[in-house]
Parts: sequence; C-alpha cells; structure tokens
Amino acid sequence: MKILTTKNGGLSVEHWADRCVDKIIHVANDSDSIIRDQAVAFKQDVRTVLIHYMTNAIKSDRTTLYNLFLKQGEPQMAEILRRL
Amino acid sequence: MAFTSDYLCSSFKVELLKGLHNFTLSTGNVFKMALYDNNASFVAATTDYTSTDEVANGNGYTTGGNALTNVTPTNDTTTAYTDFEDEVWGTATFTAYGSLTYNSTAGTNAVIINDFGGAKTATAGDFTVQFPAFDASNAIIRIA
Repeated sequence: MKILTTKNGGLSVEHWADRCVDKIIHVANDSDSIIRDQAVAFKQDVRTVLIHYMTNAIKSDRTTLYNLFLKQGEPQMAEILRRL
Repeated sequence: MAFTSDYLCSSFKVELLKGLHNFTLSTGNVFKMALYDNNASFVAATTDYTSTDEVANGNGYTTGGNALTNVTPTNDTTTAYTDFEDEVWGTATFTAYGSLTYNSTAGTNAVIINDFGGAKTATAGDFTVQFPAFDASNAIIRIA
C-alpha cells in the first residue's frame, strides 16, 4: 500500500489517468511481443482519452460549483472558480 | 503504542469461512477505511472498528472513515484475491499513521490493518491511499 499526500493542491489528472489505465488494462511482461506492443499502444490511447474526459468532468464540476456559489450569494467566489 | 505491521485480522479469516464478507463490486458489502494517529495499537487479534485514536473529525476527515469501492474477487491458479479502488480524502489537512478497514454492512467487523510506515501528512491537499497491484502476488487481500 502506498500513501500519497499533497500540500496546497491535489493530484493531477495525469496521475489519475495512469492509475485508471493501470487498473483497466494489464499487460503481462511475458506476453508475445507483438500482442504486448499492441496492448501498450492501446493503453496509451486509452490514457489520452481518459485525460480528456476527466478534464471535461472537472470543468463540468466547476460549472456546477460556480452556480452553487452564485445561488448562495457568493459572486466573488464564483468568479474565482470560473477563472481557474 | 503505535502501528507495528500490516495484519489480516484473525477474526476476519474465521468470518470468511462463515460467509460473513462479500467483496463483490456493487452487490457486495460496504467496506470502510478509517485512519488513525500513532497511539492506535492494532494487532491481528483486533476484531472491530474503534473511534479511539482515530483521526479527528473535520479538516477533510469524517470519523468512521470513507467507504471503499470493492473489486470483485478473482483467482490466479491457486491464489484468490481481491482489491479496492484507490481512495482519496480531498481538501485534507491531517496526519495519519495507519488504517483499519472494516465491514460496515456486517456490524464493524475488522478486515485488515495497514501500517503506513510513519506519519503521512496532507496539508490543504489530497490524502490518497493507493492499493497494490490487483494480482496474485500483490493484491491487498490474498488467500493462497
């Protein structure tokens, strides 16, 4: 088990994409080289797609939070969030 | 006392044989991970969750711990194993030395103790538990 901690910020989208793709696709070291190369290439493609959609999810969540702040009468907080 | 090692709780092994725990994704039991300070003294004989010496409520931590996402058990030849997805405590400002994972569906029955190997501190950041690889040699819970 590994514990990762951060200070004044969170882990990157790339970190989570790597973890996610490692969970979804496992490429055995002893697999046939042609199959392994294809699997590694596929894994890289999946990672790129994951980064794209996770980034979109973060944008959507910020939109939701932006509107929550506005509804709570906190336009300055909403604006800070929008500029991120 | 302090965390001294990782333990698969003895009571959990007995309860497995009694069919008390189900790690299946979605339809299985709810397993929670609670975090503790360095005064916690867990051993293999630990049987239940306790709030004693748990990380204080607030600052990104809620006493009782976070519910984990199960990974449906599988096997590789003679070894059966299961896993959990990585867990994050966000906007966290606290220090933890280890964890107790327990089955919150079947009471508070202890499953596994993990020693973090020292103080792990997040400051206005993420406190992330990254589980080992989901395979017969490394998975967090294995029965050979």
